[in-house]
Amino acid sequence: MTSERFTSTATTTCGYCGVGCRLEAHADHGRIVSIAPALDGPANEGHTCLKGRFAHQFTRSRDRLTSPLIREGKGLRVASWEEAYARIVSELTRIKSQHGPDAIAGLASSRATNEDCYAMARLMRAAIGTNNIDNCSRVCHSPTSFALRKSLGLSGATGSFTDIDHAEVAVLIGVNPTQGHPVVGARIKQAALRGTKLVTIDPRRIELADYGVLHLSPRPGTNAAVALGLCHVVQRDGLTDEQFIAQRTSGYEAVVELLEAYSPHAVQEITGIPAADIERAAHIYGEAASASILWGLGVTEHKYGSEVVQLLCNLALMTGKLGKPGSAMLPLRGQNNVQGSSDMGALPDTYTAYRSVADEAVAAQFEQAWGVPLSRQKGYTIPQMFDAAVAGKLKAMYIFGEDVAQSDPDTAHVVEALESLEFLVCQEIFENETTRYADVILPASAFLEKSGTFTNAERRFQRVEPAIDPPGGARTDFEIITTVSRMLGHEMGWQTPWDALDEIARLTPQYAGLSYERLGRHGLQWPVAADGTDSPTLYETRFETADGLGHFAALPYKAPGDAPDNEFQLVMVTGRVLQHYNAGTMTRRTHNLDLVDRDWLEIHPDDAARLWISDGDRVSVRSRVGQTQLYARVTPRIEPGHVFTSFHFPETRTNLLIGQSADVNTACPEYKVVAVDVRPMSEQPAFTPQLVSA
Amino acid sequence: MSDTVRIDGVQLEVAPGTTILEAAKLAGRWVPTLCFDERQAPFGACRVCMVGVEGSANPLPACTTVCRDGMNVSTEDPTARRVAGAVVELVLSELPAAPAPHTELAQVAQRLQVGAELRWPGAVHAVDHDLEHPYLAFQHELCISCGRCVRACDEVQGAFALTAVGRGFDANVAAGLDGGFLHSSCVSCGACADTCPTDAITEQLLLVGGNGNSAVAAGV
Repeated sequence: MTSERFTSTATTTCGYCGVGCRLEAHADHGRIVSIAPALDGPANEGHTCLKGRFAHQFTRSRDRLTSPLIREGKGLRVASWEEAYARIVSELTRIKSQHGPDAIAGLASSRATNEDCYAMARLMRAAIGTNNIDNCSRVCHSPTSFALRKSLGLSGATGSFTDIDHAEVAVLIGVNPTQGHPVVGARIKQAALRGTKLVTIDPRRIELADYGVLHLSPRPGTNAAVALGLCHVVQRDGLTDEQFIAQRTSGYEAVVELLEAYSPHAVQEITGIPAADIERAAHIYGEAASASILWGLGVTEHKYGSEVVQLLCNLALMTGKLGKPGSAMLPLRGQNNVQGSSDMGALPDTYTAYRSVADEAVAAQFEQAWGVPLSRQKGYTIPQMFDAAVAGKLKAMYIFGEDVAQSDPDTAHVVEALESLEFLVCQEIFENETTRYADVILPASAFLEKSGTFTNAERRFQRVEPAIDPPGGARTDFEIITTVSRMLGHEMGWQTPWDALDEIARLTPQYAGLSYERLGRHGLQWPVAADGTDSPTLYETRFETADGLGHFAALPYKAPGDAPDNEFQLVMVTGRVLQHYNAGTMTRRTHNLDLVDRDWLEIHPDDAARLWISDGDRVSVRSRVGQTQLYARVTPRIEPGHVFTSFHFPETRTNLLIGQSADVNTACPEYKVVAVDVRPMSEQPAFTPQLVSA
Repeated sequence: MSDTVRIDGVQLEVAPGTTILEAAKLAGRWVPTLCFDERQAPFGACRVCMVGVEGSANPLPACTTVCRDGMNVSTEDPTARRVAGAVVELVLSELPAAPAPHTELAQVAQRLQVGAELRWPGAVHAVDHDLEHPYLAFQHELCISCGRCVRACDEVQGAFALTAVGRGFDANVAAGLDGGFLHSSCVSCGACADTCPTDAITEQLLLVGGNGNSAVAAGV
């Protein structure tokens, strides 16, 4: 709706989850006053959730960082940009000359634009000279990326959200879309109401289970057994697509051999799911003319998360449910640019489009473009950075857009690492748990204040346009990173993020046809050919592996990294709620706080009764590595033996409870299986900050 | 396979199942609407999108009438326009104040040139506001029972939080069991406020920080 109520309107892309809703952001004299969904947004089709629509007041929060801060003695003081830049350049130069470039590491952010991430990767590689660059997709969907590349070739969804509308069956595993990806959640619900059969697989009875035909509740950490059980029944009962297997895949024989051990009864033993339900789920999926598989962090954030994604690929490969309308594999990405930050090569082992840093031809191409020699040596992943910092090998970090001390597992270890560093730069919109350890804090900009592109969960590059200016002395991330690089002696030669996009397109065959003009209002789904043709569906005729075949993986079930015992009797799973977003930095500074003001611990009535816990009680939650306090919510949506909580509030520090166990292939932390001891607290200690009761 | 239709003399081919409203849009012709939202299934409740169809004794609603091959449609048929104007005028006559200029109702009224003077003054809705929710504001007196919010909640979001309540002059919309948004299954997506053509449901932030062109800010 147009109106004189607003002085300006920018059509941009939402900066919360990975759905990639297109938004009309209306401003009145430099303040966002209203956000409406763009009617022609391909992912959201005129809809958005309460985060995209309403949670924008954080942009003008009085807590916003508006000038650089630098450490002086024990405290931080306001500094000019010149002073902050000078400190960064002198410290990084000193550390580099004393300890070498590999003593410095940088983190790009899945919240930032592709161009910001690309610039950050270039800063570390070209200006510093190290491959120590990673991004927060490490702790969410790196297993998805790893597995999809192994099985199918490319690191992205095989189809688009429109496949949900065309699917006869949708299998949702380890994902709760109505909370985590609300607009896709609404789309799935509407599809279910029109007759799409939903099979939901999650330790919690998620909302969409109420709209589905079958819900399976596996024990946390046993997804692999579920996938193997489904494949077993599909194979046993001849629901396979033999022609597809013969013509387009390799490695099936080994899988058939492996599957023998995973009869529904064997799977029932491991997962707790009734054998009959495994049979039914396999038939619903196998018999459908078209079926899609959707998953989230409930699959990936496990010790064998990447293997489970490979096993899900097996299921799709053996039934030929890939590369056609309605039959897609759709990982729901957590953050707005989880897809893009990794696509851009903000990873320790790859340049753009996942090309190895050890690949001589690729490295030479970038050396020529950037005019500097580049390291062929893999850099540190995020967990390796913290280990190296504690070991004294890593001396400096430049972190932008990630609160590692709040979001990453084993908080105590992270804090020790940050304290061990000689020099830490944080580039943020708010002070947070991590900035406490910073030597320089740079005030940056939020998604409503910058330009560039985000890539959503269906591989769609979409434009981001500024609706307002950064507050006070804050600057855009792009300007900050390119300036730091220039002062370190490496001129990137870009005026705007669109110049960076042009370079990305020039140096990456997979993104060859990208340009500001071509992106237009609707974006483009990669691969984008040089003539601008994009790819809503992948693998219609061949897979993007070296031999063009889909690769089966014969991977047995293995037990998760943690298990309940006498001392820690319950298994905790963590996740998001609708009203808040990750570390809550943004949503806690909006009226969303009036809707949900704390993290809750969901517990089954049987466990609650056994432990003398009532709804609303304050409880202590203790794991092998940490302890925190939460309020209990007694609900039958969770199975007995399991508890669930979110991680949005720094008062809770949920990640204090998470240990070092991580995915074997990608080091993605095992956030989803933590043995805990829960007990009521007889009285509330006086030092506990009290929240307003709901 | 396609059907040939004429909209105000413009001939075009449309796919079977295309409504007159969709065909008119393709032909670049304006048809007034009030209860229509392209994100929702056509509802046909308000009778504002009336058009003349050759061979039909009475005007037909464009949003729910499917094109037939050879159909000849006039969007500016005088009878149809008179009906639409009267409907909008009757709707306006129940409101305690003129709708804010940015609303769809105000814009349709202006385009149909009605509402400057109301021929049928009479009872108007009593002011009844629910401002408890942090984002969504109910201004019940502005509700015209078009059903768009209820359908947005059902067909777009799937929260099923809103219901049409009351009859005749008392017809209105309620969240949950009429306890307001906060005490319903509302998920605060705002699809209702987005589609509302009168600001009966609108954004709190626009009321507080807006330019005073809404009923609440104007102190009605």
